[in-house]
Amino acid sequence: MDVTVDVVGEDTHELTVDAETTYADLVRETGWSPQEVTVLVDGTPVPEDQRVTVDHVTILRLIKGGSQRA
Amino acid sequence: MECDKCGRDAVMNAAYSGAHLCETHFCRSIEKRVRRRIREDSLIPRDATPEDPERWVIGLSGGKDSVVLTQILDETFGNDPRIEMLALTIHEGIEGYRDKSVDACVELSESLDIRHELVTYEDEIGVKMDDVAESDPMNMAPCAYCGVFRRDLLERYADEFGASKLLTGHNLDDEAQTAMMNFLEGDVKQVAKHFDASLGSFDDRNEQSEFIPRAKPLRDIPEKEVALYAHLRDLPAHITECPHASEAYRGEIQKLLWKLEENHPGTRHSILAGYEELSKLAADQYRGAGEVTLNECEECGSKTSGTRCRKCKLVDAIHAV
Repeated sequence: MDVTVDVVGEDTHELTVDAETTYADLVRETGWSPQEVTVLVDGTPVPEDQRVTVDHVTILRLIKGGSQRA
Repeated sequence: MECDKCGRDAVMNAAYSGAHLCETHFCRSIEKRVRRRIREDSLIPRDATPEDPERWVIGLSGGKDSVVLTQILDETFGNDPRIEMLALTIHEGIEGYRDKSVDACVELSESLDIRHELVTYEDEIGVKMDDVAESDPMNMAPCAYCGVFRRDLLERYADEFGASKLLTGHNLDDEAQTAMMNFLEGDVKQVAKHFDASLGSFDDRNEQSEFIPRAKPLRDIPEKEVALYAHLRDLPAHITECPHASEAYRGEIQKLLWKLEENHPGTRHSILAGYEELSKLAADQYRGAGEVTLNECEECGSKTSGTRCRKCKLVDAIHAV
């Protein structure tokens, strides 16, 4: 199955997945870590250990690294 | 995938615990962990009363961590007459970046009706980080100047506002990174200091009379979960990288820990659990050893081991350019 992956504020990827591919796999494919993003399907976050069953997902970056806190 | 608790659609999974939770139960789980940490760290002294309340100053940057901390503290203790809270925001003089996060701070404190104080590097020490990053008289990373200035102003204003404690939004990732950095630098004395300064339960700490004690109620929560909580509750958090961010080593450790967490879920929790235990042992060993007497800086009155504090020396160097 072909999946369109929009990374909010970044780029869009067209990926081919098989029946075993999880959302976490999809995130890794686009070069991000599942630790720094959430995956949205129809605007709602989904657990990343689920298998991909839709042809359009959005990746929302939750963490922008590098800033120092007091 | 269904929520473990109620069967509704799960919005997240935590590989370290195996949990799948829906929005409601995920948010509840976050709030529960923060309240448990506050209880275990004995943040509320037994002798706090409505007549003699505990005063918490919350370091509110407008980023997701401090916004989530402020929201949960207000919801948990906003009506508790034993506790007074105020939010303190520091503007470093970073155009665009900090202006937007100050807007988030103002929006949040207005919605919660919590007292909010804003202090700026420009008014307090006569510098803006945009200019410091440009001139860089000491040939250091911008974060090295900024950290000194921020700590100085947080401490000074927490003191001025009569804080019993200074609460910050450090999360599990922040603390696991700091633990790893202290390990890898072999800095056991720093590990020991960390315990009394901000890590230990207030039952076990030796109070350091020179400084306002700090606490980090979000330190059990992975950074991603803090951010997801802010997103799900639509809190006014500002998520952008500081344009001067340059902490290369911390960034390297952050990525290393993400990788370890992927392959061995629970690594961050176990690093921090072990680190807390070690820091207590180290504190017992090193307390009082080689401690220097602190003086008041001749320029600004801040605590320093010499005659002039680090902040004043940096400010002098900046103004000399």
